[in-house]
Amino acid sequence: MATTQAGEVTGSDLVELRVPADPAYLTVVRTASAGLAARLDLTLDEIEDLRIAVDEACTLLLDPQAEAGEIVATFRLGSGVLEVEVRGPATALPERSSFAWAVLEALVGEVSTGQSDTGAWIVLRHTRARGAT
Amino acid sequence: MAAVEGGDAGREVLTGPPSARRGDEPLTRYGPGAAPEVDDFARFAALPEGAPGRAALREELLRRHLQLADHLARRFSGRGEPHDDLVQVATIGLIKALDRFDPSRGVPFPAYAIPTMLGEVKRHFRDRGWALRVPRRMQETGRALADARETLTHELGRAPTIAELAARTGRDADEVVEVLESANAYSTVPLDAASPDSGAAHLGSVDEQLERVDNREALRPLLAQLPPRERRILALRFVRGMSQSQIAAEVGISQMHVSRLLSRTLGQLREGLGTDSA
Repeated sequence: MATTQAGEVTGSDLVELRVPADPAYLTVVRTASAGLAARLDLTLDEIEDLRIAVDEACTLLLDPQAEAGEIVATFRLGSGVLEVEVRGPATALPERSSFAWAVLEALVGEVSTGQSDTGAWIVLRHTRARGAT
Repeated sequence: MAAVEGGDAGREVLTGPPSARRGDEPLTRYGPGAAPEVDDFARFAALPEGAPGRAALREELLRRHLQLADHLARRFSGRGEPHDDLVQVATIGLIKALDRFDPSRGVPFPAYAIPTMLGEVKRHFRDRGWALRVPRRMQETGRALADARETLTHELGRAPTIAELAARTGRDADEVVEVLESANAYSTVPLDAASPDSGAAHLGSVDEQLERVDNREALRPLLAQLPPRERRILALRFVRGMSQSQIAAEVGISQMHVSRLLSRTLGQLREGLGTDSA
């Protein structure tokens, strides 16, 4: 697997979730996202946005052609920062001008993406809006 | 298209040149064919209300982004709300966003519209927690009132008056009455309850929610068959909780007409449910 710039969150907890690349499993990833976001004491709206963004990212990374494959979601929980890296079998991501990108960018502070030999990845990075309490 | 009026032609556009946008269509591409152009938004924003061509341009810009409403609604699938309802709600957010959008700020329209649309959908879900539709403002006031009622009861050693509640919560007495009234919507009496006393007989009965799922599934194809205007009126009435006169203003027909259309449509749905689900 290609390496990413992810991992900038230092002193963080790591949670990894590996599910079949099947839409039916996305709900597990979504629920985990919400649960972990709640640990960071994010507001309900932030949690909701993150959940939607993760769902969007996972959907982009599913490959409708491939029967097999996995979605691997890696959550890094720093102080006030949640980074979600999602990898999936999709061989091509839609162009930057698509709705999907607009959604991701509207919901999450930082979005980066790339291809690897096994598929593609998207990293979402959310920083808690309020000052740490 | 777009004869440049706003002088915004040089601004970074979200999309590539039109030539690059032909060819095979990925699922998530912008709405039918053409790239949305900043010029059109500038043109729209510059047109005063009622100007010739404004309505047509508004419609066109909305139509181009309808797919976005559908796209966002899909993000909420599996949460017990019919997809079409969510599309409707997201579309209302889209309309609000378009009407408020200021292209001169240099923010691309989707970046502005998406949070507005999601806000609308989230509110929809928040409001769904209630048996009947109660506007959010009233739900919030309702919570504030419930708190004030409790503290005042403690302080005064008796139940507070409307005026005391109003003073404590900084609200108008009329509003307090209205909200207390609507608080009844938290729980509803089953229609088949013969008298309030028979409520106990319903303990442990079939979960009403289950039946609601059945109804919803049965309704879905029926709703799909309705003409667009009727469907819209239904959505405004039952999704948005608008009054008949508000709907009349929105749709541009008389309140009487709305009333007739509503009862006819509801009659049709009832009939359809009766024959199909038997």
